[in-house]
Amino acid sequence: MVANDLATILPELILTIGVLLVLSVDLFLGRRQKWLLTPLTVAVLVLAGAALLPIWGVNETVFAGFYRVDDLSVFFKLTAMAAAILAALFVPAYLVQRKLPLGEFNVILLFSVIGMSVLASSSDLITLFIGLELMVMPAYLMTGFHKTDRYSNEGGLKYFLLGSFASAILLFGISWTYGLSGSTRIAEMGAVLDGSRGPAGLVAVALLTVGATFKAAAVPFHFWTPDAYQGAPTPITGFLSVGPKVGAFALLVRLFADGLGANGADWYGVMAILAVLTMTGGNVVALMQTNVKRMLAYSSIAHTGYILAGLAAFAHATDPTVRQHGIEAVLFYLLGYAAMNVAAFAVVGMLQRDVRRFGGLASFAGLAGRAPLLAASMAVLLLSLTGIPPTVGFFAKLYVLVATVDAGIAWLAVALALNAALAAFYYLRVIVYMYMREPEAQPAQVDRSPFGSLALSLSVAGVLVLGVFPEPILGLVRGAVASLL
Amino acid sequence: MSGLPVLSLIVFVPLLGALALLFVPGDNHRAIRWVALLAALASFGFSLMLLGYQTSGAEFQYREDLSWIPAFGMRYTLGVDGLSTVLVLLTTVLSVVSIFYSWDPIQTRVKEYYATMLLLMVGMLGVFVSLDLFLFYVFWEISLIPMYLIIGIWGGPRRIYATVKFVIYTLVGSLLMLVAILAVAIAHGNATGTFTFSYEVLRGFGYADGLQALAFIAFFLAFAIKVPMWPFHTWLPDAHVEAPTAGSIILAGVLLKLGGYGFLRYSLPLLPDAAKEFAPIVIGLAVVAVLYGAMVSMVQPDLKKLIAYSSVSHMGFVMLGAFVFNIQGLQGAVFQMVSHGVTTGALFLLVGVIYERTHDRQIAHMGGLNGRLPRYAAIFGLFTFASIGLPGLSGFIGEFLVVLGSFQYSGYVAAATMLVVIISAVYMLWMFQRVFFSVPSDWMRRWWPSLTDLTRNEWLALAPLIVLVVALGVFPKPILDAVAGPMQRIVDAVNASHGLTSLSLPW
Repeated sequence: MVANDLATILPELILTIGVLLVLSVDLFLGRRQKWLLTPLTVAVLVLAGAALLPIWGVNETVFAGFYRVDDLSVFFKLTAMAAAILAALFVPAYLVQRKLPLGEFNVILLFSVIGMSVLASSSDLITLFIGLELMVMPAYLMTGFHKTDRYSNEGGLKYFLLGSFASAILLFGISWTYGLSGSTRIAEMGAVLDGSRGPAGLVAVALLTVGATFKAAAVPFHFWTPDAYQGAPTPITGFLSVGPKVGAFALLVRLFADGLGANGADWYGVMAILAVLTMTGGNVVALMQTNVKRMLAYSSIAHTGYILAGLAAFAHATDPTVRQHGIEAVLFYLLGYAAMNVAAFAVVGMLQRDVRRFGGLASFAGLAGRAPLLAASMAVLLLSLTGIPPTVGFFAKLYVLVATVDAGIAWLAVALALNAALAAFYYLRVIVYMYMREPEAQPAQVDRSPFGSLALSLSVAGVLVLGVFPEPILGLVRGAVASLL
Repeated sequence: MSGLPVLSLIVFVPLLGALALLFVPGDNHRAIRWVALLAALASFGFSLMLLGYQTSGAEFQYREDLSWIPAFGMRYTLGVDGLSTVLVLLTTVLSVVSIFYSWDPIQTRVKEYYATMLLLMVGMLGVFVSLDLFLFYVFWEISLIPMYLIIGIWGGPRRIYATVKFVIYTLVGSLLMLVAILAVAIAHGNATGTFTFSYEVLRGFGYADGLQALAFIAFFLAFAIKVPMWPFHTWLPDAHVEAPTAGSIILAGVLLKLGGYGFLRYSLPLLPDAAKEFAPIVIGLAVVAVLYGAMVSMVQPDLKKLIAYSSVSHMGFVMLGAFVFNIQGLQGAVFQMVSHGVTTGALFLLVGVIYERTHDRQIAHMGGLNGRLPRYAAIFGLFTFASIGLPGLSGFIGEFLVVLGSFQYSGYVAAATMLVVIISAVYMLWMFQRVFFSVPSDWMRRWWPSLTDLTRNEWLALAPLIVLVVALGVFPKPILDAVAGPMQRIVDAVNASHGLTSLSLPW
């Protein structure tokens, strides 16, 4: 059966081989040929993505119960790879500009995607933890990638320290779970953590919740996020705000929907409160920011809150189809978020040549006059992040709203709606600067690169097409969730 | 019925125009203006086909129905009844007028301007023809962003404050409405097993009282902010003062009607019990709006602000007519919407005319214009009287019907609103006197040599509005006939309802 098992992890194998390939090709390329690494990395990711096709609909637990290859995991992997492809295209121009090594970045990026894939497929707490660490270690490295920049160093260190702390908490929760159940299988968690074991079970669930929401950057466990996101090289921040979030939600879905799904009523309250705190906290602080990069960092916290609302809807509902809607909303939101947020950060990065500006709002002043296409693309991305139709961001919010209203928690839907209006204020402020203000005397330079333009057009097209015709993705999302329940 | 998808053409021809603009060189202003005007005219031309609407025929005509997002039961369903037909025609006429009027005033970022105007048309027209609640919401939001850009880019000095206020206000209301739309659709879906956003299906369903109450409040917020009703009106004066002339025309002429249309199309038929229950409150707010708008208008120093506040008053009539639940009131409400669109659109255009020449709108700075610009004064006078509600012009019919309808509801309400007709004469005539007859201010004398009477283009832009304001005043029958059927349906639905019996909340 080993051959069969190996066939189901073909995407991960391709990524692993790809890592080695990129690593060795990098050694033989001269300085002028380094750009070849980008198409190579993208090719590896596309190939791995193509390898997902044959395992769609397989739904098997392999490797003696340690690894679950179901449609849910395939969808998570797909989202992670899409985000990584965009990042691989966006980042090089920024790195080359600052004389940072391209080869290492591509290797780290691919490693991180492997981690996310393992995480998404874990059916055992051990696999889960390995996947998590494999995902976040590269993320720490990426944050501190700009070695000579002290903000990057600070961000990397903070992310590392707090991230390790969170991992430790999660691990502690896992050990309590193991202590109670004598098993590390996720599927067997629910039976012991149903309240029948008294305070011990409570401690385990609390630790797991804290550890997992730490990774997803939920308020009040978000303190690492702004500094890490602001310190990291900007296009990399785009990936960090999406990739590890996809991973963290894969973790949450695996633990809470897969493992503790039957005990939804127990953890619904915590999830709903975290969701409201996170969206409101993220938005309120984002309102105060005058630095676009930091503003987007806080707004990514708010988006975590919207996605958590989907999980809360899952927990609260009793009807199976309504429960499914909750997880479907999570998946759709993550994909939509990947399509818009990587690109939004990348646009900020394109205007950051001048270090003194540091991604401030002023660098966007009058952009519509200087770079009409770039400004229009950014406007579409921002409108999508706000949730204005016909964009994917609107449909993602709509999905969460449907799930919450359907689950009978309309107050959460109202909180989400009000938050979306709040968020409009700071997203639209960037549009105000781009379109309604005169440029500064020495306007910020716009860094363009063919790969970056390609990725930007892909993102904008994705945002608009999925916003008007979401049907194909909806089918995929429904299929993915059907494999869970 | 021909196979031509008339409604889709009306809605999406402007979009095609906007896309075509992408391929016109940005410095060729003449070509850009022509493309935009032709697209708007084409949409107007197609909308004329709606004159074939049969008042005795099916409720919704020119229907189009395509599957869109089956996973959620969302469909692309279009159709018009008399109410929609009237408002679609109003929209296309005013859009053509405002695009044509922009010919000379707009000289910066011309291409973006016209593309935005055309996108705005798509959103507004889409709202009026959608028969799917989700589709309606999408168009509703699409109409928001272009106006945001029009005010924010081509507006006056405080444009950014005004436009952000406009967007945030509107967005709060409309997002809550989205939640309400979902709640209504899901309640229907859970009860019947078919998940749909179809207006025709959802309309007849009896929703639980608690849901009706909450959904009504959410819809109310969205529409009342758009109308705008006192006390949600504070964005309007700012937006109007800062908007460019064409933006003001569309804002007053059509965007405010989206709110009124929302009440008539969605709030009342969808949630008749809650509507009946809340009617006294809404009527109270409407009376306050009517009186407050008129009284505040009296003290405005700025022409645009004066007309903006008078809009609050006039739209109060619409709300009043909509919620007294008799045929006169409802017909009057629709007629008032059309009449207000034409009259106020024209008044904003006329203010734009003087602003183009003097770059000022302060009433105190004007004076004696009658001697210098007699034709301008005559046309301004015509619309001033239309706004006051002089019999023979369109303003009279709507206000008269609304007062007639509200008299059946309560004599006091009717008496209070009649008072406003006097106040409106005070502020409009006083304004007219100060601008056209008083001694010219020193400030105005400086402009004396360069003041010219209406140009050919201005005449052309005003012509359709002049014709309409007189024609509707003398012969209102076509509009009243067209909306009689749909309004009677609303009256029947609401009067058959028992109101809310219990207010137990479903959540």
